[in-house]
Amino acid sequence: MTMSIIQVTGTGKSFANDRTPFYGVRVPTEIKTMIKPLSKLDKNIFRKILVLIVTAIEGKEVEYKQLKELESKDFSEEVLSIIYSGLLKLLQNALRVPLESLKQELFKEDLHELQIPEDFQTDLASVVFGNRRSTIDRVSILSRPRLPQIDCLKWRVDVGISTSVLNRVLEPTVLMEMTLSDGNIHTFEVPVSKFHELRYNVAFVLKEMEDLEQRNVLKIKD
Amino acid sequence: MAALMFTSTPSIKKAVALINKLDDGKFRLVLSRIMQRLHLKDERTFSEEEEEKLQQTLGIDGPELELVLQTLEFLLQQAAYHAAKPAVLSQQLTQLELEQAKVEAIVSVWTTNGRDVLQKLRQQTLHPSQLEDINWRLNLQIAQSSVSKQKLPNAMFELGVRDSEEGVGKKKIRVEFTHSELYQFYNQLEMIQKQLDGLS
Repeated sequence: MTMSIIQVTGTGKSFANDRTPFYGVRVPTEIKTMIKPLSKLDKNIFRKILVLIVTAIEGKEVEYKQLKELESKDFSEEVLSIIYSGLLKLLQNALRVPLESLKQELFKEDLHELQIPEDFQTDLASVVFGNRRSTIDRVSILSRPRLPQIDCLKWRVDVGISTSVLNRVLEPTVLMEMTLSDGNIHTFEVPVSKFHELRYNVAFVLKEMEDLEQRNVLKIKD
Repeated sequence: MAALMFTSTPSIKKAVALINKLDDGKFRLVLSRIMQRLHLKDERTFSEEEEEKLQQTLGIDGPELELVLQTLEFLLQQAAYHAAKPAVLSQQLTQLELEQAKVEAIVSVWTTNGRDVLQKLRQQTLHPSQLEDINWRLNLQIAQSSVSKQKLPNAMFELGVRDSEEGVGKKKIRVEFTHSELYQFYNQLEMIQKQLDGLS
């Protein structure tokens, strides 16, 4: 008689389902490094650091000296920098995921796994799920890489009356001056036939965009 | 009363005399070519080689050919300038003492090609930059470095603008639009269209 023994070893972690944590498959280095110093951090200092991070995420300027000011005999500026980087990375990862895809309880579970103190978990969750979130999302979208946009379009319709070669012309032309967001100004003439082509194409793309917005909700899986 | 397009100057008189002696068939061919190239501003109607051959076939020398070609170009340019009606053209050419066959040839070539030439001349412009090409691309952004799982449509337009200045070639203007930005652009184009509609 033969007997097969299959040994099953647990990982020692909680029995949570095998979903990927919000920060990815591996714990980012910056987060790993900050866990130990974070456990000793005073709640007040933590909150002040968090304020700086949220300011930065909302696209406003944060100066290094603002972090340095928080230095104390227990926490050198180096340690503060490690904590700042770790928390920033953590929040950036959480904010990447759309609100619909990340549940607050699971977020806190992941924080628990990372050994983030319970106290701090609430504060972090309020950044991700609180009322600042819509501003943060808006800033994210605005900061995406883009080609230049039209900042200002000035135009003119002229009708030629006569030229050196024709006594009567009576032919309209459109003149456009386009100021782009990269500062360039382009001035050019648009013959009437080209103008019709431009108008047609813009209308066509608009329609295609509308169609796309209607149906893409079904096709792209979350 | 139609405007007088031609006055009988000494050089015109001389040219008329030469023209009247030309072979009808060859005359028509020369006229055709001049008409075809009337709208081209700075280019020669005939190349130097062709002019040499013409001297042979028409039986006239260099300066005479020069005068004949210049006069014929002038006659047609004036017809274009005044958008002359064939009957008026015919009458005024006859007054210059061109012989009947030559008058008929000129009026005939004008009647056939006149409309086309006027169209081309009307569209001539002094502005250096013209919009020539319109290309576009419709995209759906699904992610960026700070946000994942998006569905953000955007359109990119590439406008090819030809610059008539030497060596500048074609400039490509690349612009991006979100839905609302494109809609705004469309509304501006509609305003322009209203202006154009108001003209007709």
